[in-house]
Amino acid sequence: MAKNLLGREIPDFIEGYGKTKLFQGAFALKPEGYRAGGKIRCVNSTCTDKRVSDIKAAIAASGLKSGMTVSFHHHLRNGDYIVNMVIDACAEMGIKNLTLFPTALFGVHKKLIEHIKNGVITRIMGSVNGPIGQLVSEGGMEVPVVLRSHGGRPRAVAAGDVHIDVAFIAAPTADKYGNICGTQGKSACGSLGYAFTDAQYADFVVAITDNLQPYPAAPISMSQLNVDIVVEVPSIGDPAGIVSGTTKVTRDPLRLLIAKYASELIEASPYFKEGISFQTGAGGIPLAVTAFMKEAMIKKGIKGSFGLGGITGYFVELLKEGLVERLMDVQSFDLEAVRSIGENPKHIEISADWYANPWNSGAAVNMLDVVILGATEVDVDFNANVNTEADGALLHGTGGHQDTAAGAKLTIIAQPLLRGRIPCVTDRVYSVTTPGEVVDAIVTEYGITINPKRKDLLDACSAVKGLPVVSMDELVSRAHKMSGPTDPVETEDRIIGVVEWRDGTVIDVVRQLKKK
Amino acid sequence: MRRTMLYLPGNNPNMLTRGYLFGSDGLILDLEDAVAMVEKDTARILVQHFLRQGEFGSCEVTVRINGVDTEYWKDDLAAVVPFPALQGIRAPKVDDAKTVKIIDEELSSIEEKNGIPLGRTKIFCLLETAKGIWNAYDIATASPRVAAIIPGGEDLTADLKTSRSSEGTELDWARRMLVFAARAAGVDPIDTVFPRVSDDAGLRKETEFIKQLGFEGKSVIHPNQIPIIHNVFNPTEQEIAKALKIVAAAKEAAERGQGAVSVDGRMVDIPVVKRAEYTLLKAGLSEVK
Amino acid sequence: MNTAQAGTLESMDCLVTVSEAAPGTGVKIQIAGSSASRFRTAMEKKAAEVIASMGVKDIELSIQDNGALDIVLGARIEAAVKRLIGGGR
Repeated sequence: MAKNLLGREIPDFIEGYGKTKLFQGAFALKPEGYRAGGKIRCVNSTCTDKRVSDIKAAIAASGLKSGMTVSFHHHLRNGDYIVNMVIDACAEMGIKNLTLFPTALFGVHKKLIEHIKNGVITRIMGSVNGPIGQLVSEGGMEVPVVLRSHGGRPRAVAAGDVHIDVAFIAAPTADKYGNICGTQGKSACGSLGYAFTDAQYADFVVAITDNLQPYPAAPISMSQLNVDIVVEVPSIGDPAGIVSGTTKVTRDPLRLLIAKYASELIEASPYFKEGISFQTGAGGIPLAVTAFMKEAMIKKGIKGSFGLGGITGYFVELLKEGLVERLMDVQSFDLEAVRSIGENPKHIEISADWYANPWNSGAAVNMLDVVILGATEVDVDFNANVNTEADGALLHGTGGHQDTAAGAKLTIIAQPLLRGRIPCVTDRVYSVTTPGEVVDAIVTEYGITINPKRKDLLDACSAVKGLPVVSMDELVSRAHKMSGPTDPVETEDRIIGVVEWRDGTVIDVVRQLKKK
Repeated sequence: MRRTMLYLPGNNPNMLTRGYLFGSDGLILDLEDAVAMVEKDTARILVQHFLRQGEFGSCEVTVRINGVDTEYWKDDLAAVVPFPALQGIRAPKVDDAKTVKIIDEELSSIEEKNGIPLGRTKIFCLLETAKGIWNAYDIATASPRVAAIIPGGEDLTADLKTSRSSEGTELDWARRMLVFAARAAGVDPIDTVFPRVSDDAGLRKETEFIKQLGFEGKSVIHPNQIPIIHNVFNPTEQEIAKALKIVAAAKEAAERGQGAVSVDGRMVDIPVVKRAEYTLLKAGLSEVK
Repeated sequence: MNTAQAGTLESMDCLVTVSEAAPGTGVKIQIAGSSASRFRTAMEKKAAEVIASMGVKDIELSIQDNGALDIVLGARIEAAVKRLIGGGR
């Protein structure tokens, strides 16, 4: 057992995970050697149609066997039919011991619990939430879950930490030779950003579509070069769960208040100038920050260079109005975003690798000025936890939290100080997702709290009259005063989750909850 | 300053905890209309706990009690007046000077019993009937405790046997009357609430109108209304610049022992200087009261 | 058995149910809901304080919590006990 840079106790070896590398700082570890790769394929003119009849035929053709690793993307979100469809088929075909390597899982995947219990899935590398998260937290899987960020995942694949045997790619549109795109068809989801790395590195790639178009389909997002077979099914997902309606700015006064403070911090920072780039996601507070920033940008007469990450209709509006020049879209959140990425050449589809991988020749997050994030808790050292809930259950994926925080020049965590009685600021977070060294400020309904290492930001804020700056000491003592003392989370020794930093080192581990 | 006085439902822990964070000048912890009949007791206890231990920032804290025609109002006063955090009570359905005097007496007796300086608890009178509006000046002068008079919205409209319109035609005369009575009595005229909480443009329009009539501020039912009302009431940058100039010139003249001042070629007399000082106060640029 | 309730299940509130208990049975406290996993000790302490300050010796108290701070918890318990003493509702 050794302590990593943040003082977290990490065993040298974790059963089911292997030897650990200790987190040693956000940018400390440098890669060596060469990228991994998938199997070399050869297809010649004897094959002019890659279609097979159904999912089982595809699984058989892929050579998938017990003990292998299968990957999925989460662009169909809570509307996804593919993960359940494929794993059900695997179960019927007697395939067991699979490692599930999704880019994320959603509530709709709770059906997998039966396959976890009957041994079809024995390992998950990816986010777990809802009932699956609860099951894992209570010790329902033999092997720990491995959590990686959106950038850490493609890094792990490219670096050979994870080898994908078969990638199943839900394709809203495809042709018979495996050209794919996400912007067309009844199950359109916009960007297919998270699927690119899997297509490039898997030994075998299956495209599953409900909108087969004549060859060659156009537009093409992922090409035939990496797709081995194509399956047509009646439906790949439920449109109602794939994209939401137009995302509206919240009217909730608490969220608006926090968003206002966050926006004022951005306006006071040196980054609020012509060409500013930002990522704000789809949550209530971040979206409201965007709305306040928009007002401020118009007032000051400045324009942004690009918006990054998960894209909403609100960002599309900014693009149309010329308040940002480009959108770099790894995930399209709503109908407006899906429509825009299909029509507007300034709205660019980017892969997760491009978006956030720390080990390539430069990810998009490096070009980011400002990011607004959330967290379940932040501690006095500004370490943030997004993976575990107050009761210690592992219920959330890492998403792009680590990557954007590491990349952006100004990383803001905007969050109410209290969710009910539970404070979001504490002496020590239960588990760490993102280290304090890359978090610049916390914004709550009580004001703006700046990481002391960012003296420049503190100075910038104190130069603005009326900006409510609150020190971390004040904030945490307020949280203590209002919430009262907390009881410790009671756990077993067994590790059920490994939280990797984006470079593959272990930033923290999550232990099994004690039975109540 | 009483630009905004925000109602917080007295049985709502969330709003009682966070209400002061939204930056209104005052708060009204409401035991009357926002509380169901069967919850009068629990709301009173909750409000009591918040007055004892809660936080209100720099807000002026008042409690809206139940009307003197109910069985609750004396219990309400007894529960809230002893706390130092309380600065005033908002009394509903004040029809005449007599109602003010009844409340005044009850307040005095509670203050005396609890060793509180006599007269500390101010009264904010809600004039919610035609009779109340008619008696506005008498009400405003009925006790030195009266800090403000406020016209009713829905109740007054009903009493006038009309309905609430977006233009506010039916309230027009009451509002003008109330400003006159308040100013004549030396108390603050504060406007009623704007009920359509998502109509930001309508709120702005109404606030501009009542500011022009001479109101000191407005009652608020949703936190999102606060920045809009402040924006209307806050002096513009032009107004601030002009006020700074006037105050500086007046100060200079006083130092030289001169009475009359000229700014930008216009004579400036004492009321104008006072008005300028008040502008700076509202802009947070002056200590002058 | 005489029982009374106060509070709601709204966010940052709690629903407190109190019941008369036989003399000598003492104070029994049951807690469930959103803060229970991390604030049980603090909530029990607050509940015991309020009950003691009201001079009640024997009572059964059940808290269904939805994120109430101590200030709210105290007010709800006080209200419930007052209702119980006042004849319930």
